[in-house]
Amino acid sequence: MSLTTLATCTTGESAKLQGIDDEQLSIQLFCMGCIPGEIITIERIAPFGDPIMISVEDSFISIRKVDAEKMRIEKI
Amino acid sequence: MQVAEKFKIEDKVRIVLVGNPNSGKSSLFNALTGLNQRVGNFPGVTVEKKIGHFKVNDKIKAEIIDLPGTYSLSPRSEDEQVTFDYLNDSNRTDIPEIIVVIADASNLKRNLLLASQLIDLEKPTILALNMMDIVERNKQTIDIDLMAKEFGIPVVPINARLGKGTEQLKDIISSYKVPPFKKFVDNHETKDALDNTLVRYEKIKRIINACLTSNGETKTALLTKKIDKVLTHKVFGYLIFLFTLFIIFQAIFSWSSIPMDLIENGFLVFGNWLGDVLPQGILNDLLVNGVLAGLGGIVIFIPQIALLFTFIAILEDTGYLSRVSFLMDALLKRFGLSGRSIIPLLGGAACAVPAIMSARTISNKKERLLTIFITPLISCSARIPVYTLIIALIIPADQQLWSFNLQGIVMMVLYLLGFIAAIATSWVMKRLVKSDERSHFIMELPIYRSPRWSNVGITIVNKVKVFLFEAGKIIIAVSIILWVLSSYGPGEEMARIDEKYQEMISNPDADKSHISEQMASEKLEVSYAGHIGKFIEPAIKPLGFDWKIGISIITSFAAREVFVGTMATLYSVGDEENTASIKEKMARATNPKTGEKVYSRATGFSLLIFYAFALQCMATVAIVVKETGGWKWPIIQLLYMGALAYFSSLIVYQVFS
Repeated sequence: MSLTTLATCTTGESAKLQGIDDEQLSIQLFCMGCIPGEIITIERIAPFGDPIMISVEDSFISIRKVDAEKMRIEKI
Repeated sequence: MQVAEKFKIEDKVRIVLVGNPNSGKSSLFNALTGLNQRVGNFPGVTVEKKIGHFKVNDKIKAEIIDLPGTYSLSPRSEDEQVTFDYLNDSNRTDIPEIIVVIADASNLKRNLLLASQLIDLEKPTILALNMMDIVERNKQTIDIDLMAKEFGIPVVPINARLGKGTEQLKDIISSYKVPPFKKFVDNHETKDALDNTLVRYEKIKRIINACLTSNGETKTALLTKKIDKVLTHKVFGYLIFLFTLFIIFQAIFSWSSIPMDLIENGFLVFGNWLGDVLPQGILNDLLVNGVLAGLGGIVIFIPQIALLFTFIAILEDTGYLSRVSFLMDALLKRFGLSGRSIIPLLGGAACAVPAIMSARTISNKKERLLTIFITPLISCSARIPVYTLIIALIIPADQQLWSFNLQGIVMMVLYLLGFIAAIATSWVMKRLVKSDERSHFIMELPIYRSPRWSNVGITIVNKVKVFLFEAGKIIIAVSIILWVLSSYGPGEEMARIDEKYQEMISNPDADKSHISEQMASEKLEVSYAGHIGKFIEPAIKPLGFDWKIGISIITSFAAREVFVGTMATLYSVGDEENTASIKEKMARATNPKTGEKVYSRATGFSLLIFYAFALQCMATVAIVVKETGGWKWPIIQLLYMGALAYFSSLIVYQVFS
């Protein structure tokens, strides 16, 4: 168990979302189903390392790396 | 309580359609209305407003409004703000209103968040659960009655793609009784918006656990993951994208040439016929050479626009376009653009007008503005006739460079220059345009699905309609102005030319078509347009242009390809036999004072650069006015591109001469 941010995860890794350190980002991601407690999986990382495609339940969402750095996770 | 007492459907009802993006909202809208719909704008903003009509039953007629897709009632883009404002506006009391919230049943939790927020607006609401086919394929069952009880509103299962469940929805609408409202979550009991959202999710999760039974693993996402391994691959992803582009441009250029020729000839035949049957005079001339010519200039682009939108609609509907944006975001971000800018930039190579319209999907205002600003710099199909003519004038067809056709290379360089200018402009603009809005690239990538052909068809019809009517209004107005400027002139000069040719025409042996062409060109010289051409000559002389090119530049503002037609009229002088093509005539043209060729290499290159960069397209200006909601940006764009064209041409001419 280690606490870190989503930006440190590599393709195929899954992690449990703990929180998002940015209010605006939280508003956007929460309403897309990306809320604390959910399991996030890194599906693909685009060439040049950015953006990142994640999956939450059955939704695929793309986020930029800077935003992934604000997402606190617990690796599982 | 007030609502419940007042609510009574007599013969009319308004249905307000709300839902997440990709929830099948448009499919349901299309399934209910068919082509009985129109696209307008919400007042003050450029967000598309889709309104349709359908019959609920023999007695009740419904008006249906498709609000822009949104994930929640906390708006984050212009689209979502429109939905929010519309739902919170309580001034519409003309007819009873029912909100139909559509939710993707295969992705319930997230979709029900919006539904729960709508319930708390305390307005008549129906929940439509869409994509029940996927739920069944995943071996899941949903207890509809329990869900209706939990949410306190009617729930109807539908399959919008196949149009299933619409009859049941209509039944519920016609017999709608307002249930006693009960708050899903009391806003006073939560700290802030984020907490409120989390509390809602908690409650939704409990309801889903009670209503949804799963008997196996979900499979739909697996196929999408497999396809994504190829389509977003770091090498194949780009190759497949390039190949797709190649196919699209081939199709746009080759498939559209036949209908475009037909339209062109059709307008010509119709114009000649109209010119013959109507009594001669000003009205005849205005209709045939002003209005009809202007109209033909717009209609001719419909095949290309329709084809471009067909491809974009298919790519969008299948879910591929969001993957392309995903692949391109890192690159475009550096230039102040977004991954989504790739769609307008691609479209710009066909025609800037539909391309600028497609920039609506960019939620960040600055990124959208930058995209709209640079799109006209991409060389569009209307520049092709101009490029072809000038290149042929200054470069011999058999000249080669490293065993490649030099004419082809010059053409390619012009396209490349346009792209480089676009990107460089964006890079500069990124620093100049201030924006507090943070740029995210939070975008849902929908699962892959086969395109819904009826949706694609309806999209094309709507886009073409918008193009024809919105841009058409302005194009016709300017065409008429151009016609007036080139048909009338100051003083008596026009009348004198008429007199001079009257005798020649009355001579039975005269070649009438040739004489009238000559007359037209002499008249053009003394017309207001001709005077303007002469007036601006000193300004364009340093670029290597004479007054004739000056006139063409002015008339080209109607559309770039008008250059060729204007040149054809201007150079009909002095060709007694009238056998030479425009190209030959222009090649023979010499400066009366110096005896030098008018179309030297320097002038040719200068003209090419001018046409590559200048914003000579009133359709584009019209659409930018519409999309940016004012004249500020189109004017800046016009001046900027004009200055860029002027100074680039100046440099090119001075270097080559």
